[in-house]
Amino acid sequence: MQDPLRFHRKAPPCAVVIYGANGDLTKRKLMPALYRLAYEGRLAPGFAVIGVSRTAMTDDEFRDRMHDSVRKFLEDSPFDEELWQSFAQGLSYIAGDVGDPASYAELGKHLAGISEARKTEDNVLFYLSTQPSQYAEIAEGLAASGLNKGQGWRRIVIEKPFGHDLDSARVLQGRLQKCFNESEIYRIDHYLGKETVQNIMAFRFGNGIFEPLWNRTYIDHVQITAAESIGVEGRGAYYQEAGALRDMIQNHLLQVMATVAMEPASSFTSDAVRDERAKLLRAIRIMRPDQVADNAVAGQYGPGRSGSERVGGFLGEKGVSPDSQTNTYAAVTFLVDNWRWAGVPFYIRTGKALPKRVSEIAIQFRTAPLAMFRKATAGAETVPNMLILRIQPEEGISLKFVSKRPGSGMQLRPVSMDFNYGSSFGERSPSAYETLLLDAISGDATLYTRQDMVEASWTAVQPIMDYWATQKFNFPNYAAGTWGPEAADEMLARWGHTWRKP
Amino acid sequence: MSGQPIKPDKILKELGELWTNMGKEEVAGGDDQSHGGGLLRACAMTLISFVDDEEDPVSLGETLASLMKEHPSRAVVVRVREGEDFLSARVFAQCWMPFGQRRQICCEQVEITATVDCLADVAAIVSPLAVPDLPRVILLRSARVVRSGGIRKILPLGDKIIVDSSRTGAPGFGELGGLLDAGHIAGDLAWTRITEIRSLLAQLLESRKIGTVTVEYDGKEAGPEARYLEAWLETSLPDARVGLKGSGSAGSGKPLMIRVDGDLTVQLMSGCAEVRIGELKQRASLPLGADEELLNAELSIVVHDRVFERVLNQITA
Ligand SMILES: NC(=O)c1ccc[n+]([C@@H]2O[C@H](COP(=O)([O-])OP(=O)(O)OC[C@H]3O[C@@H](n4cnc5c(N)ncnc54)[C@H](OP(=O)(O)O)[C@@H]3O)[C@@H](O)[C@H]2O)c1
Repeated sequence: MQDPLRFHRKAPPCAVVIYGANGDLTKRKLMPALYRLAYEGRLAPGFAVIGVSRTAMTDDEFRDRMHDSVRKFLEDSPFDEELWQSFAQGLSYIAGDVGDPASYAELGKHLAGISEARKTEDNVLFYLSTQPSQYAEIAEGLAASGLNKGQGWRRIVIEKPFGHDLDSARVLQGRLQKCFNESEIYRIDHYLGKETVQNIMAFRFGNGIFEPLWNRTYIDHVQITAAESIGVEGRGAYYQEAGALRDMIQNHLLQVMATVAMEPASSFTSDAVRDERAKLLRAIRIMRPDQVADNAVAGQYGPGRSGSERVGGFLGEKGVSPDSQTNTYAAVTFLVDNWRWAGVPFYIRTGKALPKRVSEIAIQFRTAPLAMFRKATAGAETVPNMLILRIQPEEGISLKFVSKRPGSGMQLRPVSMDFNYGSSFGERSPSAYETLLLDAISGDATLYTRQDMVEASWTAVQPIMDYWATQKFNFPNYAAGTWGPEAADEMLARWGHTWRKP
Repeated sequence: MSGQPIKPDKILKELGELWTNMGKEEVAGGDDQSHGGGLLRACAMTLISFVDDEEDPVSLGETLASLMKEHPSRAVVVRVREGEDFLSARVFAQCWMPFGQRRQICCEQVEITATVDCLADVAAIVSPLAVPDLPRVILLRSARVVRSGGIRKILPLGDKIIVDSSRTGAPGFGELGGLLDAGHIAGDLAWTRITEIRSLLAQLLESRKIGTVTVEYDGKEAGPEARYLEAWLETSLPDARVGLKGSGSAGSGKPLMIRVDGDLTVQLMSGCAEVRIGELKQRASLPLGADEELLNAELSIVVHDRVFERVLNQITA
């Protein structure tokens, strides 16, 4: 009965159990995404959601809370009260502490009832949206009460961070894999669910003209930027533990880099794609301690401006200790030791309180071999071609090249050829959580992170974390509203490069 | 322009000038070059619409403009009117600024007015106007063209022809079947209209053993949507007994309800469907299927649609 040319993908029947249902992520992202999937008719009719947290609430109270959150956080789509009523029938709530074995027994009973009443065929997706320190405990609790197995399938989704360093990532994995098979563990990296990140693959492997240029012979260097214009905005206490390197580079940006730099997979299947991503991550050169200072820069913002507004520094944030050594900015030069990329630096930077919110990948090509038009470019060296893959805020692709100014003389100037996904195609893009939830329910792990990828990316950043832990930084070292510390510019200058101002 | 010969080269030149002028206006209007977002000339296909001259140009313009978001195209609109030998053409652009963006998107349009007698000339003008290397799609909404047997004349212009068999004056199933037999790619908005219903039914029925399915419709005579639905169910559930049942009173012929065995019903309402499986009752939204949404879906498919072709063959067999 399927019609792949026309039908949108639909999820098989299942129940989703959300641990941490009273939390921020559930409110802001998960429930709106589930509602939106229901709105589009992507979910099976008997779909069910069971929320678990400590706070005592009746099913109706939980539904009311979720109703308000969905209304508030549903982006660019309409809220349909009647459809909500129907969706809400599938919502229920259990108050319980993840440390209490009785709560798993209660969940077991509840799930059995739901499987019967809502025809979920005993398929269950456990979504852990609690503090990361509770992931293993929950998995063990589920296993101890036999909820990790059943008539239907069982899958467990965990949110980043997957450990706080290589060792803890391995310890977490050791505990998880006693309870679930690797194929049942879905590590969510919402960056990989973004349309543009998926489009990088379409762009690279769906077109014949770019791939031949995609190597050290033609590419000079790559810059990956994820800039936030806001500071930590009240999440100082959480952020203090993580920092920019852990919070962004170790997971999201290294995954983006892997997508840009990986070899073509032999097929677009979950394992083939993830094998290539993992291979690339393993090919990243591991820094020796004496190389870190030259190849990685930590920063922390001090008072400055955000637009015309004066803003305070990180140390003034609530919950942040006055001598905090947390990096709110990190920039790293990575090298990839394989035939395709030998000698091509990949510069990755991310930070809070930068001049604007922008995420992009800039691929700078080598200049033309002969500066034939030196005079025409007013003495400047030949201008390199640049390909920009924009992820945020406007998704799109730009190519910079030079062209002749109309007129009699041979005057050249750089021009930009732009393609905007949003404006060239008006269709609404699904949110990353919609894509990823539908994938998990449908059993497609292509955009989820596998343990070998997690370990490879921790391995790449571990020496930096270790070295930084021994340093006493003179923070703050950049003012809010500027493009980060000077040391980051110096890092590129050593290679003869400069950061792009996106 | 009436009376004078129409030259495609001239129309193309006018299109070129149109862009140059718009580019100039854009530069003059933006006070700061770095912030003047410029103009994006987007094109993914040539869309050639044949409409009767009576059709409201404003609403047609709106439909075409809304298609541009997903399928930026060079639009050629041929307005077919009564009377003797008449042919004229004009060129203009339709631009809009997508919400939150700083760059306008513009699509070019060529409007040709012609009588049925001139269809052969129209073909000779339109074919050089098509954008090279991109798909060409014909939207046939003109009853005059159908009545006069002009379809064959315009078919060579496109890679795909789209009709809406639920409109009066549209070609019938027999004629559509003939197009498929001749190897053309065809689309019918009456078929597109039931995509969401089919997708819902596939989700509900795929893992079940089915005895009987009845498609109930409004009226005495089943309309094309109900007939497509019946034929699709027949071809995809070969072991089930599939039937059509009318409400008996006068009505639109559109499907109202699908009954599966004793315990599953899907009631179709405006904008949604209510599914009942035994005690379980659930609502699913079914987009209303405005013309532009249907066309958007149909323009995305410029290859042979085997499922549609199989179902149409089932009806015409
Ligand atoms: N927020 C985001 O935008 C975001 C983005 C990316 C990743 N993440 C990750 O997603 C996870 C959840 O984030 P969050 O911001 O939603 O956290 P949160 O707001 O702290 O929510 C966690 C919820 O878990 C419940 N909980 C705490 N201890 C519990 C226990 N012992 N037993 C049962 N329930 C317990 C709490 O509700 P009760 O008080 O009712 O128990 C709390 O509301 C974290 O791992 C975070 O790193 C979040």
